Amino acid sequence: MQIFWITLSAAAAIGVPALATAWAQSRIGPAAAASLAEKPELSTTVIVMLAIPETMSILGFVVAMFIMLRAGG
Amino acid sequence: MIRTMRRVRVMGPRRELERTLRVLQDLGSMHLGTPPRLPALNPSPTSRREQRLVRQLRTLVADAETARSLLALPLPPAVATGAAPDPAPWASWARQARRLRRGAEQLRDRRQRLEEEQALLGKYREMLNAFAGLFDAGGIPAAVRAYHVVLRPGQAAVVEPLRQALAEALDSAFELRTRTLSAGDTALLLLVPLPRAGRVERLLTESGVQEVPLPSGYERATAAEALPRMRVRLEALPALLDEVESERKARAAAAAEVLPPMLAAAQDAISRLEAVGLAASTRTAFVLEGWVPAPDLPALGEALRERIGPEISVEELPAAPDVGAPVVLQNPRLFRPFQLLVEMLPLPTYGSIDPTPFVAVFFPVFFGLMLGDIGYGLAMLVLGVFLHRRSRPGMPLHAVAQIALVCAVFTIIFGVLFGEFFGDAGRRWFGLHPLLLDREEPEDIVSFLVLCIGIGGVHVLLGLVLGVINAFHGHKRQALGRGLSAVMILLVIVALLAALERLPAQLLTPAVVALLVAFPVLVIAEGIVAPVELLATMGNILSYARIMALGTASVMLAVIANRLAGAMGSVVVGAIFALLFHLVNFALGLFSPTVHALRLHYVEFFGRFYSPGGVRYRPFTHWRTH
Repeated sequence: MQIFWITLSAAAAIGVPALATAWAQSRIGPAAAASLAEKPELSTTVIVMLAIPETMSILGFVVAMFIMLRAGG
Repeated sequence: MIRTMRRVRVMGPRRELERTLRVLQDLGSMHLGTPPRLPALNPSPTSRREQRLVRQLRTLVADAETARSLLALPLPPAVATGAAPDPAPWASWARQARRLRRGAEQLRDRRQRLEEEQALLGKYREMLNAFAGLFDAGGIPAAVRAYHVVLRPGQAAVVEPLRQALAEALDSAFELRTRTLSAGDTALLLLVPLPRAGRVERLLTESGVQEVPLPSGYERATAAEALPRMRVRLEALPALLDEVESERKARAAAAAEVLPPMLAAAQDAISRLEAVGLAASTRTAFVLEGWVPAPDLPALGEALRERIGPEISVEELPAAPDVGAPVVLQNPRLFRPFQLLVEMLPLPTYGSIDPTPFVAVFFPVFFGLMLGDIGYGLAMLVLGVFLHRRSRPGMPLHAVAQIALVCAVFTIIFGVLFGEFFGDAGRRWFGLHPLLLDREEPEDIVSFLVLCIGIGGVHVLLGLVLGVINAFHGHKRQALGRGLSAVMILLVIVALLAALERLPAQLLTPAVVALLVAFPVLVIAEGIVAPVELLATMGNILSYARIMALGTASVMLAVIANRLAGAMGSVVVGAIFALLFHLVNFALGLFSPTVHALRLHYVEFFGRFYSPGGVRYRPFTHWRTH
């Protein structure tokens, strides 16, 4: 039973931030596309803007890994 | 580093303004600033004659550019501008450019017409051949009306009902022949006596079939007359198109002598006339102000005095704090490709720090830490060499290739340290072992995370130190705040390590006391937002965990790709799947580390010190073709 909760916690730790990232990027994407249509020179800023919400997923991944590693240890 | 600029003022007699601008254009080193605001000086408005000339020159340039583009005439890399006659024969050049444009447009229209005709007749070609066969069989008497019809594949069923209807209506006084075309269409020829034509047309309409409309120019002819003419025309068209192409080449060769110098002279003249508006003047004198790279200043004064005379004065002005000097980045050859990554953002302000050398050091390290694989590094090396050979120095692609080569080297170095060659393939094939970390082992993953956050701490602290240096010349208080932030982050790290017993526990109390003392000073120096900034900085350091996350994800994907090879049953299918998986991982391995290494620089590192808003250095010079 414990392994179920550990696995579920790890999945939630990566899954919930991934959903949040997806939502944030879904808002940034159309705005970025519209900005690029008018000012193509903003491409770098747009790439960085799109990479910013990924921090949530990445930190979620780190937390999920720690959960799994601790469970394994 | 940012190249040192000198603010200069050039003064002289009003009548010498035009010649002075010519000399400055030849030298190509002075960035002209806004007109100086001094008592008794007025802006130098361009006269009506000059405004008219600018309009005429713009028309000349537009005509010349259109002609050049229509004649497909490439511009040479460098156009000799000194060869242009002085004064330039603008009126005759304008007429010449107009003639060239009109000639090129006529040639284009002629080619378009011929190509359209060729395409249209080409569509009829097969149908013509089918009908031509029918004519050869019999020939058409004068008292007979011929109908030419093409039936779509689904319409072929109407042939027999139509034949019966015609037999009833015309009592067998008709001839109906069909042939199948390659696309499944049916070519149909119907011959009827001329007096019965009206009846037949009604029958055709009732059957839902229409006569083939003949191309433009052949409408009044019967198909019997038109078809041989069309065939002859189709055969003649390639030769006519070749003729047009030969004429284009001849015209382009003739224009190659005239157009580039004409374009260059006109563009230069427009620049000079526009530069007149950047001068201020009295009735007898003019003043120009601008910026020159420090090493070019003596040459500027000498050239002006030599070519104009001693009445021209070149004076160095003290740099005004409210007038920003233009910025040009100048770095050693090793760091120069990385200027591309800095120039993707707005340039730094003059007098601030150019981060290019730091980017050149940290970017490849971050990239190598994330990808860290000998196999992928070698693939990237090959890609980098290919791009390097395919690009010319000075092109952005050349800089990208150079950056890729440096990143590839670091990827290989970290690949050796992590013992990775296409994931774990190196271990399986030739017993490769990690020298520093095994990114597949749980204990080492934690060490890898600590290493990444440690590098992040160094990077962010370096940014704070650069911020202190940047702010020290202007905003002492801000410099103090940033310095304190850096010290406090160090104290937090010491306190944490002491609490976790990685450092002597005796350090914990002094570190906490020092933090408590520094905190109010920080709030006084930078305001109430300073604690929030400090927390954000700590968050920025944690953000470097992405290096570990992306690195681990990359190695896991590579390992999965290798395991696919053995899990497929068939060695060949497994190898193909593994190869495809590695290709996807390589593509991801190029893109993700680039984006995230850039983000770590732009957000976490530059955010501590970078002050954007520099004006790009654009020297007043001759028109360049590239």
